[in-house]
Amino acid sequence: MHLLSLPTWMGGATGELTVAGQISPLGAVAQVSLPNPGIVLQLIVFGLLLGAIYGLVALGLTMIFGVMDVINFAHGAFMVVAMYVVWALSGATGLSPLLFIPIGVMVLFVLGIIVHLVTIKPIMEAPQENQLIVTFGVLLILVSSIELYFSPDPQNYDLDLGSVAVGGAFIPEGQLIAMVIAVVAVVGTWLFLKKTMVGRAIRGTADNRDGAQYVGINVERIDYLTFGIGAALAGLAGAAIPLFLTFDPFIGDEWLINAFVVVVLGGLGSFPGALLGGMIIGFVEVFGRFYLPGSFYQVVIFGIFILVLLILPQGLLGGDPSE
Amino acid sequence: MIPVSERLEAALAQYGEFRKQWYATPLLLTIIFVVLALLPFIRGLAFLGIAPLAWLSLNMLIVTLVWASTAQAWNIMSGYTGQFSFGHAAFFGLGAYGTIIAVSEFAISPWIGMAIGSIVAGIFGFFIGVVSFRYRLKGHYFALATLAFAELLRFLFNNIDAIGGASGYIRPLPFEYADDYGLAAFQFTSDLPYYYIILTFLLVITVFSFIIKRSKLGLYFFAIREEERAAAAIGIPTYRYKLIGVTISAGLTAWAGAFWAMYFETIRPETVFDILVNVEILLPAIVGGIGTVIGPIVGSFIVTPIAEFARQSVDLHGLNNIIYGLILVAIVLYSPKGVVSWPSRIIKLLRERTGILGRSPSNQRATDDD
Repeated sequence: MHLLSLPTWMGGATGELTVAGQISPLGAVAQVSLPNPGIVLQLIVFGLLLGAIYGLVALGLTMIFGVMDVINFAHGAFMVVAMYVVWALSGATGLSPLLFIPIGVMVLFVLGIIVHLVTIKPIMEAPQENQLIVTFGVLLILVSSIELYFSPDPQNYDLDLGSVAVGGAFIPEGQLIAMVIAVVAVVGTWLFLKKTMVGRAIRGTADNRDGAQYVGINVERIDYLTFGIGAALAGLAGAAIPLFLTFDPFIGDEWLINAFVVVVLGGLGSFPGALLGGMIIGFVEVFGRFYLPGSFYQVVIFGIFILVLLILPQGLLGGDPSE
Repeated sequence: MIPVSERLEAALAQYGEFRKQWYATPLLLTIIFVVLALLPFIRGLAFLGIAPLAWLSLNMLIVTLVWASTAQAWNIMSGYTGQFSFGHAAFFGLGAYGTIIAVSEFAISPWIGMAIGSIVAGIFGFFIGVVSFRYRLKGHYFALATLAFAELLRFLFNNIDAIGGASGYIRPLPFEYADDYGLAAFQFTSDLPYYYIILTFLLVITVFSFIIKRSKLGLYFFAIREEERAAAAIGIPTYRYKLIGVTISAGLTAWAGAFWAMYFETIRPETVFDILVNVEILLPAIVGGIGTVIGPIVGSFIVTPIAEFARQSVDLHGLNNIIYGLILVAIVLYSPKGVVSWPSRIIKLLRERTGILGRSPSNQRATDDD
């Protein structure tokens, strides 16, 4: 699988900077000993934008883990399905892809429930590896089906978005919209979990499955709702990412792997941890892409991942990993 | 005239009795390896005008044996001791890179490179084991940690230009480090010698795996898999034995990587450390039967030829992965003990349905089939 398709948004962004006369190409900047404050500001902005998306990607993953104790390898594939649903609908109707994002999310909610009922529910009590293998199988089926049907070529939304300048930093509009979507989704999910009865039931199940059952919560129903919501969140993230990035059927893998890092870093199952981890990885990626050669930032990200797994396996804000 | 169904049942019952004997697995393994040794010659044979195996090219058979041997090696760690690894591509890739670096950069024998790659992989496995097991990582966390180590190597090798970087290595001609094509150069002008080399690797790993399973070491491994705390309570140093498991498994996985480097023309980080390589390594063991010696071989012959056929012959890119995915889901959902368990499952089913095979399953062993 082509895990390393270099996103274009960094390239595009630096191009804009060059036009603005602030920096020369990447290589020259790496040799400058003192960081240019303008560049650092720009990178911080990019870090925030990317971190919010990582938080959104990790949110569904960590929710499914927290409630069901399942590591969902198909999460990245869910994102890709949403991308292609929105892109195909937009292409067929000629309307803006933004209009079809809700439809993509709904499709993913249903798809998540189906995947759960068919593949996860029958083996909820089986060893943990079995669920990992099954979700990886779902990943292969979904991604390769999309590859077969739509071709493996890169695609992008037919949108003409510019960028806004705020205090010396450029913000691409596509990324800004994606970040707004991410923030709204995170706040919405948080309110849903805190304020509604179903949300409370989900949190109760995450806390203690047996206890939840004793107080009359239908844990099986919570499971499929959680998987559906997790898939819907993946779909939302997936539908938002092409606003600033070209995509192909394999782009989900890269996001999935980094989302694992985010989730473990923040603490598996932890909601605020996903956001904090997302921000950290977002910043590491943006700064690493700029100051380190090639894709070396990924080495740094996995170094962090392994360190966290070893020293702090419960993550920054998580519970006990031995449970 | 006895009805067919009864004769079938009787045969299955006999097979069930046979499988309980101590010599059953060695005998079956011998038969399997004799058939495999003859396979390049009998695959073209026609029966009643049909050649059922003619679509199996020698290249497919070689790839099948590669994944069988990695699955066999993976099985020693993840099947026997129950520490599920999702990062065996790390060891596979180290074996491949050890070999290709030896011939390309230093012009020394690929066999020495393979030995070095295997030792490095073993040390790396040991290191992963030390850092993971010391912090009692298990289940999800251990699987993710192993995946992280494999991905770390992928990006590391991608970014170090001194060892090829992202474009990797093109296999040099044998004259650049040896005299001529042949065993010493680990390069041949036809596929057949390659087939017998990988078959020999598989044989060695399988014999090794079988000896471990029947030894005290194997008993300790399975005790750790079944209930680690109980194993520790009766005095098995679980940490040490898990380390032994991961080190052996890693070192043996590297052999297939070394073979890969000398068989295919290019080696890139994206081909030997890819996330999908992890799946190809463990899939045959899961399909055949985790923890069994025969399972990884049988499993590889079920999975790999179909996927290779889809990849090579049908012009539909991605179809092989869909096949992998469907098999993964189906096996885990409907037969988590693998294909090897089917005969005993059928016997059990028949016993429940008809009661004809009236013997009670009293003397069944606690462990799986071999």
